[in-house]
Amino acid sequence: MSSLQLALIGLAVLIGLLVIRIPVGLAMLAVGICGYVALSGFDPVLAYMKTAAFWQFASYEFSVIPMFLLMGEFASRSGLSRSLFSAANVFLGHRRGGVAMAAVGGCGAFGAICGSSLATAGTMARVAIPELERYRYSGSLATGALAAGGTLGILIPPSVALIIYAIAVQANIVQMFQAALIPGIIGLVGYLAAISIWVRIFPESGPVGARATGPERIQALLDTWPTLLLFVVVIGGIYFGIFDPTEGAAVGAFGAGALAVWKGNLDFEGFVSCVKDAAKTTGMIFLILLGAGFLNIFMALTGVADQLSSLAAASGLNPYVILILLLVVYLLLGCLMDSLAMIFLTIPIFWPIMAGLDFAMPEADLKMWFGIVVLIVVEAGLITPPVGINVLIINHHAPKVPMRETFIGVTPFLLSGVVRVALLILIPPITLFLPHLLM
Amino acid sequence: MKKLGEQLHRISAWFAVVGGIVLTAMVVLVVISIFGRAMFSSPVPGDFEIVALGTAVAIFMFLPYCYMQKGNVAVDIFISRMPPGVQRGMDVLAATLFGVVAALFAWRSVFGLADTVRNGDMSMILGFPVWVVHPFGVASFALLAVCCFYTAVETFGNPVEVPGTAAEAPETGAAGMPGGNADE
Repeated sequence: MSSLQLALIGLAVLIGLLVIRIPVGLAMLAVGICGYVALSGFDPVLAYMKTAAFWQFASYEFSVIPMFLLMGEFASRSGLSRSLFSAANVFLGHRRGGVAMAAVGGCGAFGAICGSSLATAGTMARVAIPELERYRYSGSLATGALAAGGTLGILIPPSVALIIYAIAVQANIVQMFQAALIPGIIGLVGYLAAISIWVRIFPESGPVGARATGPERIQALLDTWPTLLLFVVVIGGIYFGIFDPTEGAAVGAFGAGALAVWKGNLDFEGFVSCVKDAAKTTGMIFLILLGAGFLNIFMALTGVADQLSSLAAASGLNPYVILILLLVVYLLLGCLMDSLAMIFLTIPIFWPIMAGLDFAMPEADLKMWFGIVVLIVVEAGLITPPVGINVLIINHHAPKVPMRETFIGVTPFLLSGVVRVALLILIPPITLFLPHLLM
Repeated sequence: MKKLGEQLHRISAWFAVVGGIVLTAMVVLVVISIFGRAMFSSPVPGDFEIVALGTAVAIFMFLPYCYMQKGNVAVDIFISRMPPGVQRGMDVLAATLFGVVAALFAWRSVFGLADTVRNGDMSMILGFPVWVVHPFGVASFALLAVCCFYTAVETFGNPVEVPGTAAEAPETGAAGMPGGNADE
């Protein structure tokens, strides 16, 4: 049997295991180990397994992940989300659809101190849903805005998904953070535009809220200073090379924890619950990381990625056509599985294909540009049926709104996302401008 | 049996909390190091080594809790449309496979520990003995394996617990499960 055939069998088994609900990380591990054994025999694999997990976990670079997760947990508990929503609300609330806009704005701002899309959506929902109900916003607009708003966090640094992508393609995390900022802000603006168009078509779905006075606005803005400070210190520090990503994450976790304690929202019991939630997500990510390590060895031994890459390069298809095809695959996969798992699973195969094509840019740029576009498409999976994890979370906070309505409510945001992806593909400098400037 | 389950939940939660405290200590260490660098231009020497080792301890200790909380993501959409009996069979299969893999890692980690002790591996700058981390790996993978096998047996032995669904006895366990004692 050729090693290429073995690789294809391995991938087929992997898909089979995923279909019968074997956890993604475990499936990758099992296939990786078996494939490695099939190609190299038992002894090297057993020897490798002695310390494989240790070397995978004992990494200074990867410690950025649990630290940012911890920061997100502390931030979610800190009560900072309320001030962010209020600040957005005093400026936007009196417009048609303004309270929903404030929810999206709050999500974007909270995403700047929280690396997890899920935590952002959940935290902001707790604050914004009661207000949206008070002003009689339609269920689909209210929940759709929050579910979509949560996905903004995937690009606005710090973002765990960005870090995972950077690890998977061996890109520079700092540059990824820099590349993501402008596309993230464009996403925010695009979502606000989507709401404003939506309420023009369905005026009754987003009534106007109260108008705030000048002093109220200034006060609300001043109240957001802790968040702003945290973001500027952490992300500013990383952008300008004052500290590396791990140091930034540690400062962020420390700062968010300190703020939560200061606000009286974090006692020991709260700390334990934060730590447990961070433990759950960390365990999930690192099991997949371990599995990806084994799967990558197996795939590297078979050389399947090189074959696919040369196949793609020799196909004579326009590189942009191949890019679009890959994005369609991501869109479909996003309907089925978790975004982080998806990145680990696909990037080792898809990235070599991309790298083998000619997009007239250096490889470092290609990594950033491709990554940002992929992450936007992946984040769409968080709000599309049938899985749509963000939608599930929001539904938990707004039980009165049927899930169907939320899925209808996210449609305008998805359309806005399509426009954004097209824009970013056609004009790479939007993504590359900031990293080039700060280099 | 039920009591064992409660114990495993409790122990895995303890593991997670201890890991979390170690992680928090690493956060504080890095902050102190940055502070020292900024104020007295003297960072904690070799802090990144300690952070790497400490993070490994934390991650190891998170694994059993993540499993017990069903934190490991899976593709749910195909199986969730199957009859409960099939679902249960697949869950038993998944738990068993997980147990076998975890036991394999626990077994190999023992040798990893022995090798590291024998070689006297030290961290580069501080000369911190690396072997100290490995027992956490052994213990966590062993606990994870026990949790998985417990879950397999528990799921296998329990009547269908989906509320509102009639138990369909004949089909249960039909989705064969490989010998659960394949671990070393």
